[in-house]
Amino acid sequence: MKKKIDQIIQDRSLYQCLECGKCTAVCPRRLTGKEYSPRLLAHKVIVEREDESFIENAVWECLTCDICSERCPSGVDFSGFILEMRELLAETKGLKGYRAHDGAIHSWMRMMTAPELKQNRLEWITEDLKIAAAGDVAYFVGCAPYFDIFFAGIEVDTLTIARDSIRLLNFLDIQPVLLPDERCCGHDLLWTGDRANFERLQKLNYETFKNAGIREVIVSCPECYQILSEYMPKVIPEFDLKITLLLDLIQKQMHKGGTVFEPLKRRATFQDPCRLSRMLNREAGPRDLLNSIPSLRFTEMEHNGRSAICCGNSAFINCDAHSKQIQIQRLQEAKNTGSDLLVTACPKCMIHLTCALRDRVKQGKFNLEIRDLMSIVADRIKWYGG
Amino acid sequence: MKKVRLLGICCNWSPFACYNAAGMAKLKMPDNFKLIRVMCIGRINQALVLRAFEYGADGVILLECSDEDCRYGPGPEIGHENVKRVRKLLHLLGINQERLVEKSFAAHEKEEFVNALWEFADKMETLGPVTQQKTAAHV
Repeated sequence: MKKKIDQIIQDRSLYQCLECGKCTAVCPRRLTGKEYSPRLLAHKVIVEREDESFIENAVWECLTCDICSERCPSGVDFSGFILEMRELLAETKGLKGYRAHDGAIHSWMRMMTAPELKQNRLEWITEDLKIAAAGDVAYFVGCAPYFDIFFAGIEVDTLTIARDSIRLLNFLDIQPVLLPDERCCGHDLLWTGDRANFERLQKLNYETFKNAGIREVIVSCPECYQILSEYMPKVIPEFDLKITLLLDLIQKQMHKGGTVFEPLKRRATFQDPCRLSRMLNREAGPRDLLNSIPSLRFTEMEHNGRSAICCGNSAFINCDAHSKQIQIQRLQEAKNTGSDLLVTACPKCMIHLTCALRDRVKQGKFNLEIRDLMSIVADRIKWYGG
Repeated sequence: MKKVRLLGICCNWSPFACYNAAGMAKLKMPDNFKLIRVMCIGRINQALVLRAFEYGADGVILLECSDEDCRYGPGPEIGHENVKRVRKLLHLLGINQERLVEKSFAAHEKEEFVNALWEFADKMETLGPVTQQKTAAHV
């Protein structure tokens, strides 16, 4: 155990920590008054490791939004450290953090690790979507059908993102294959320390892609994209799939020329998903698209791009009053831009911010519509002269 | 035939009174049941029902009071809502929706209670175990 922690500290450059405290100064959880400090956690794990209860609690507090690593002058990979510590604590002590929604979401993700699974996950496809029965390009739907049911109570429609993404692909003359037995990408299991089941999902998904003869997988969710493109190859040594982010594909097409946008008379702002902006370095893409839509008045929030603040929760653990406060602040920032349309690019941001938007106490205070970037683009994009 | 594993979640008030009375009257009940007593079926959320299946249940029955009898107010209505949602999730996961059942009782209906358990157990026996073997390592 001691050796393992030493190894994690070394791998994630925690010894480089200067104790400057910039991480704690920008931590969204700390800023809403939570007794949590990345700096103190780094300190404890290096020199006061006997304070086990402190470390065990603090490791599960992190949102893994990566803004601390963004600010760190020494290049400490704090989110990576948290990831490995969670794996270690889950494995050795059976810890799993305080799971939101009583762990229902993690339950269905774990249920998907059964190899005999026969899902009914494609019943939402409407007739206007062109789907290929076989081919080498797949669209990865992820957990959208599940979220759609589970979060029906707060009226989040995550399947709209999937439908609009397919519409976009059809627009680009791509008819994707949708796999009936594709499983959760495993993001939330990975970030809550459940390594064994995460790896099962990678193997099963890879097998599913290979059996269907897939060579390229197109993904709209930044979390799924991060897992498929960065983590799956680490689990599967023979990995040879091409993983494409739909945002990149659209952006590329737009710069190639031939497409135009119909005007949209709205004022909009953008919530950067942490995976997309800080971890995948794609903060420019969404702005590129939004700024190309005529009549759309796009205004940045006070904290934006790589400095954007998290939507309040990640991997569905430790949702509490502080998460709600982060979300309310975020909505307030969006409102302060004078926008009535809040664009996001990750279904999780959409779920969490909608949850705060529907808060009974704050009801009606934020008159905002939350939509996914892909939905807006799918609505407005046209071929030139077409 | 391989016996299926069943879970009953039983409200402390009317249904548990039935269960108690049935036990006193020595009525025979299926033996492949685990019965969990809760104060009100409104205590049970989607996650707990789903977890029963995750942990290997082949069928789950919610034993609740009738809507107007709830000691706390909205218990059974919450039960209906949860059953509706979890059934949809089960369907997505390819698990027969009929494996999740809810049944309501008045406090004196011990025969009805026992019959409901038998009927449920027989039905699950015909459906057999959930085909997806529980190979997942539960963390």
